[in-house]
Amino acid sequence: MARLLQILGVLCAVTVLAVWLILGAHTGWTKTQTSTRHVDPVTEIEYDEFKPGFVPGVDFLAVGLAGSGLLFLLGFGISKLQRKKNTPT
Amino acid sequence: MKLTPTLFVAAAFATAVQAEPLTFDFKDPKGVNNVVFKLDAPLESINGTAHGISGTVTVDPEKPENATGKIVVATDSLNVPNPMMKEHMLGEQWLNAKANPEITFEIKKISDVEKSDNKGEAKVTGIFTLNGVSKEITVDAKVNYLPGRLADRSPDKTPGDLLVIRSEFEIKRSDFNIQPGQHLDKVSDEIEIELAIAGAAPKKS
Repeated sequence: MARLLQILGVLCAVTVLAVWLILGAHTGWTKTQTSTRHVDPVTEIEYDEFKPGFVPGVDFLAVGLAGSGLLFLLGFGISKLQRKKNTPT
Repeated sequence: MKLTPTLFVAAAFATAVQAEPLTFDFKDPKGVNNVVFKLDAPLESINGTAHGISGTVTVDPEKPENATGKIVVATDSLNVPNPMMKEHMLGEQWLNAKANPEITFEIKKISDVEKSDNKGEAKVTGIFTLNGVSKEITVDAKVNYLPGRLADRSPDKTPGDLLVIRSEFEIKRSDFNIQPGQHLDKVSDEIEIELAIAGAAPKKS
């Protein structure tokens, strides 16, 4: 159980980091929309067209890594407790 | 010789028609008209846009200093790419979009007009209303009059003219009672605004 939680924590951290890196390593806040810039040919007005798209930011990274760390620490704590319990007094 | 007075009258009528002020409608079905707003913040600047633009401007292209009109932006059309940020921005603590559904600018005075061909620059003074607070502000505006170009933008080739207005100016959120003196470490007091809008004046048949 303790080992499983520790492995899960490490896997989560690696996954969160990989997702953040693959989806652009955005150093701002998480976005749920992406935009493309266009220019109207007649008026020459520049405008953005938005479409749904997930760009994880540092908030995603922080929450993901904190959650992973919590899992790892929980596993570590359980393992310590188990070791203490199994040690003959 | 008999034709001369008729031609004169026709020419005079045409001139009179041309000198009539035109009313440009800024409701853009193509969704091109936009307002960009920027606020400085520690992690990254908050950049948003608004597309819910409407309103009219009545202007005689020969006498732009006499222009009148009002530009309206629907508060709930303000958009930022982060959903939680958007919820906070439109919520009661910030813009309170439900209570203040419109952001408006009503033209009061136009001065320092510099005109060359169909382009011009001017200082526009008007009443800017945001978050239910109205204040007189003066902004620099660039105007481009595009006679006969409406047909190029409308699917049914409606004949008419276009008026493109661009402006960049800065306001302070504290002046409009948006969390005055609060959260200055998270969001700047200054809001940079960039406006780029085109209005259409269909030809009267």
